[in-house]
Amino acid sequence: MIDVAGLTKSFGKRGEVHAVADVTFAAPSGAITGLLGPNGAGKTTLLRMLATLVVPDAGRAAVGGLDIVRDRYAVRERIGVLSDARGLYQRLTARENVRYYGALHGLTGRALEARVDRLLDALGLAAIADRRTQGFSQGEKMKVAIARALVHDPDSILLDEPTNGLDIMSVRALREQLRALRGEGKCLLFSSHVMQEVAALCDRIVILARGRVVAAGTADELVTQAGTRTLEDAFVALIGSGEGLAA
Amino acid sequence: MTAAVQPTRPPQASPVSRVLAIARKELTDMFRDRRTAMVTLVSAIAAGPIFLILIFNLIANQADRARDLRLPVVGREHAPALAAFLERQQVTLTDAPADYEAQIRRGDLDVVLVVDPTFARDAASGKPATVRLVFDRSRDRARPLIDQATQLLRGYNRLWGQQRLVLRGVAGSVASPLIVEDVDLATPQQSGALVLFLVAYYGLFASVMGGMAVSLDTTAGERERQSLEPLLMTPARPGEIVAGKWLAASTFNALVVALTLTGFYITLSFAPLPAVGVPFLFGAREFGRFVIVLLPMIALLPAVLLYVGSRARAYREAQANVSVLLFVVSLLPVVQLFLQRKEPDWIALVPVSGQYSLLNVALRGEALPWAQLLLSYVTPLVLAAVFLAAVARLISRESILAGK
Repeated sequence: MIDVAGLTKSFGKRGEVHAVADVTFAAPSGAITGLLGPNGAGKTTLLRMLATLVVPDAGRAAVGGLDIVRDRYAVRERIGVLSDARGLYQRLTARENVRYYGALHGLTGRALEARVDRLLDALGLAAIADRRTQGFSQGEKMKVAIARALVHDPDSILLDEPTNGLDIMSVRALREQLRALRGEGKCLLFSSHVMQEVAALCDRIVILARGRVVAAGTADELVTQAGTRTLEDAFVALIGSGEGLAA
Repeated sequence: MTAAVQPTRPPQASPVSRVLAIARKELTDMFRDRRTAMVTLVSAIAAGPIFLILIFNLIANQADRARDLRLPVVGREHAPALAAFLERQQVTLTDAPADYEAQIRRGDLDVVLVVDPTFARDAASGKPATVRLVFDRSRDRARPLIDQATQLLRGYNRLWGQQRLVLRGVAGSVASPLIVEDVDLATPQQSGALVLFLVAYYGLFASVMGGMAVSLDTTAGERERQSLEPLLMTPARPGEIVAGKWLAASTFNALVVALTLTGFYITLSFAPLPAVGVPFLFGAREFGRFVIVLLPMIALLPAVLLYVGSRARAYREAQANVSVLLFVVSLLPVVQLFLQRKEPDWIALVPVSGQYSLLNVALRGEALPWAQLLLSYVTPLVLAAVFLAAVARLISRESILAGK
């Protein structure tokens, strides 16, 4: 469960760039919540705040009941993040990359090895687990990054544009994995600037534009709210432009 | 509280276990970069031998040249007695080429003896006879020859004068009221100052260079490869991340220094180096003393380099900034060499200079002065702590994320 109330963040010398302004929404457990908005809408900044890397100027947010500022390190133990920057250690194998993060989360010995094995298996990486990630394809790298984010079995999972640069097969595989995680009762927050992505996967959609929430609800609710025929038309009507429709 | 909510949650890692996990991963990463690791380690162990063999052969050549002096002469026929004297002193006399001055200027000839055409006439009439030594003192290589030729001519002068006095019934010692005897207090180890300088300098240099590539890779490289942000989202605190990286880089640095010293040790103990009269010691004891002196440097340099690396967005940018640092560090010992003065005690507090001074003590075969040694630890260790704290602050800043 992620609760966001009035979250605000500005950048620039005098705080003149309002990246996120008074954002309020909730992402329940056992559901995939989509953050939809064109590039520059504030999705990455919002996720970085929830991941406790960026301190908000105002407002508050809680992940699993823990405050993202006061309890930042406790929050980090309970979230898995696939951030905008998702570089792997190219000289390490897939297994070593995942194992490293497991160790940083306090897993050791057989428990760590078993967890790493299971994840690599589930993500279809078993065959290349002991190869250096240097020569991996975008899709393979993405899977390793996901395994790394999930190694400590987090309750809440934040994904920043996870489908960027993936081919269609990888996207489909990713969707399956995210649905499986939803089935385990995890709280998933998924950001994208591509409407079709969000529509295909998310139970609830939060539409961001220029740092603000312009609408939130299920796909049907959004269509009703905007008074349009399709979600696509609703999206255009709500954000006031056709950005982000190119799939 | 965490455990109560989620009983299956793994036990919280301790800060120490996270630091060790980071250090272990960084070391693995360093050695996986085979090319960089091999170049660094192999050049560390090979540097000493190559260096020493070159230097020793250079010195041996100079010594040989000084021993069998070949002296081109102009106007030999004017002073047959002088020529005979020189030949008795094992000097090979040759006829100087006509363009000897140009050859000396070019460095083809080192020194030429010119006998004045009026030599015989002046000598016969009891006037001082003139010979000239033509040389270019700015050439280091020529100096032993110049000195040797000068000394031989002085010797001839003294001998001739004494013979004249004896002919007139005066004891030779009357004309030499002063005898200058050289008493050189340098022990055998203290000679060969150049070799001393180079060994100390190179040992110091190893502690500066050893951790460079890895320190920059683990900071600027981590940022460049976009793996810093995910790392910062783990429970590892910035201080732990910095401590782990520093531990790994220092370990690597220590390895490079140890290999460099091993190279020196093996070469000086076992290699058939030409005997050049600089039998300074570099045995197991000196090896140990070098390590003790260099420890603060092994700890400090990675801290500084981690800082430089963290300020840069990319590896190349960091490299450019490091070259300024390297310039300063490599210049200090050279300045000390040229000052040629007894160093003040506070020099121990100056990083690099303090270490260089102590390394020289070790190479002269003397025991390390403990007070000075302790003093030499102070500044590097304080600075290392300051730099590491600065790196931890840098990577906890939000702006570190902006530099994509």
